[in-house]
Amino acid sequence: MAMLLAVWYAAAWLPAKPLLPPPHQVLLYLVQDVQKPEIWKHLGATLMRILLGFALSMAIAVPFGIALGFSVVVRKLLGSWVVIGLMIPSLVFIILAYTSIGLNEFAAVVAAALAVVWVLTINIWESAKAVDVKLIQMARGFGLSPVRIVTSVVLPQLAASLMASARFGLGLIWKMVLFVELLGRSNGIGYQIEYYHQLFDLGRVLEYTVFFVAIMLLIEVVVLGGVERRLFRWRPAARLA
Amino acid sequence: MSVSVAIKGFAKEFQTADGQRLRVLENVDLTVAAGEFVTILGPSGCGKSTLLNALSGLDTGFEGTVEIGRSAIGDARPRIAYLFQEPRLLPWRTVRGNIEFALDAARVPRTEWAGRCVRWLEAVGLASFAEYFPLQLSGGMQQRASIARAFSIEPELLLMDEPFSALDEITALRMRQLLLSLWEADRRTVLFVTHNSLESVYLSDRILVMKSGPHSRICDEIGLGHMKRPRTYDDPVQYEMQRRVLDTLMRYV
Repeated sequence: MAMLLAVWYAAAWLPAKPLLPPPHQVLLYLVQDVQKPEIWKHLGATLMRILLGFALSMAIAVPFGIALGFSVVVRKLLGSWVVIGLMIPSLVFIILAYTSIGLNEFAAVVAAALAVVWVLTINIWESAKAVDVKLIQMARGFGLSPVRIVTSVVLPQLAASLMASARFGLGLIWKMVLFVELLGRSNGIGYQIEYYHQLFDLGRVLEYTVFFVAIMLLIEVVVLGGVERRLFRWRPAARLA
Repeated sequence: MSVSVAIKGFAKEFQTADGQRLRVLENVDLTVAAGEFVTILGPSGCGKSTLLNALSGLDTGFEGTVEIGRSAIGDARPRIAYLFQEPRLLPWRTVRGNIEFALDAARVPRTEWAGRCVRWLEAVGLASFAEYFPLQLSGGMQQRASIARAFSIEPELLLMDEPFSALDEITALRMRQLLLSLWEADRRTVLFVTHNSLESVYLSDRILVMKSGPHSRICDEIGLGHMKRPRTYDDPVQYEMQRRVLDTLMRYV
């Protein structure tokens, strides 16, 4: 952190024609703006899109990934499509969504979800393949129905991978959402960053960036970290020495 | 409360990786009376586990008939508990959570759960470990927890697939004593699979000896009804019987 600030200060003050505003300037902007409602409204819009986009992509990726892992039929029919989806640049999904659905909120969410769903599906597919068959046999031995086996024996084993997918997915999606906003929405952090970029106000661009990263870090540590601690209480800490 | 088992003309064919058809079991007939403790003794790979899988409903691709109680497989499923070589506890649930998992699967009413957990955890000596997670327990304790889980559903049939072969000898000795003491109370029907001759003599009413595969079948039967219960480790008759059993095994291997 300290090194980052040092480099930033150096980059701000050393060149003859300074382009980069120094950190304290950006901090000043931030301190001023958090007291006004505008930045929070943009944050709200962006977070909402992230949440919806993430929920949509997980809602598709989880059952899809499980089906690919457990069903030979599904794997043979749809397996290659997932890889193809992964190869398509996210920009294509965003443009397709906006042109076919319209330049609206729904398209924004769908676009962000579509860009990310492939990698989440593959993640979950891999861990579905690694599920412990012996535990499933034990559950069947006791007479548990297939649906209950999925919910109480398979899903908990996917928890670690779902957690990793959630983190990774969130990381991807918020960049997608910023991109989506930049391309076709009129509010949100991404929109603001592009707005100030076009005005060449690098200071405000950095301000919004720092603000947003700070919020995402907070969510990561507090929300995801908390969930992770609760979910994995049962695991003994692994030590290499 | 306890059911009988009848297997007639059982055969099982496996397809190997290179497309060959391997007839692991051929023409197996066996019966277990309700409340009997019967052991299937045979070398590894002779198909003993396959029989248990068919009985538990885990495997439906076999020839012959398998009957539990008066109904054939496929009717209302009798309450079966299957004890494996590994404890197979759900690691993300506590010991109590694992017992409740089985109680739920066996459709035992929720009102009875607390009472059964207490009763069976005490019976296996894990009363103070109810809230521990499996990975915090030793192998022997985990296996004890899975025994408590199996008995807690008050099964009509107990299937056990070499449950003590992964434990050290001392722990295994204690586990066998524990198993018998739990079994004496209700005398449920047990089909126990092992490759350990002494274990088979110590535990059972009858031993069914299987020859090694392929085309394996029950080739001999040794009755132990004359051995008194409760069984003790210092009974000399036991070691005589073990010699008999080993002789039989050697003949067919």
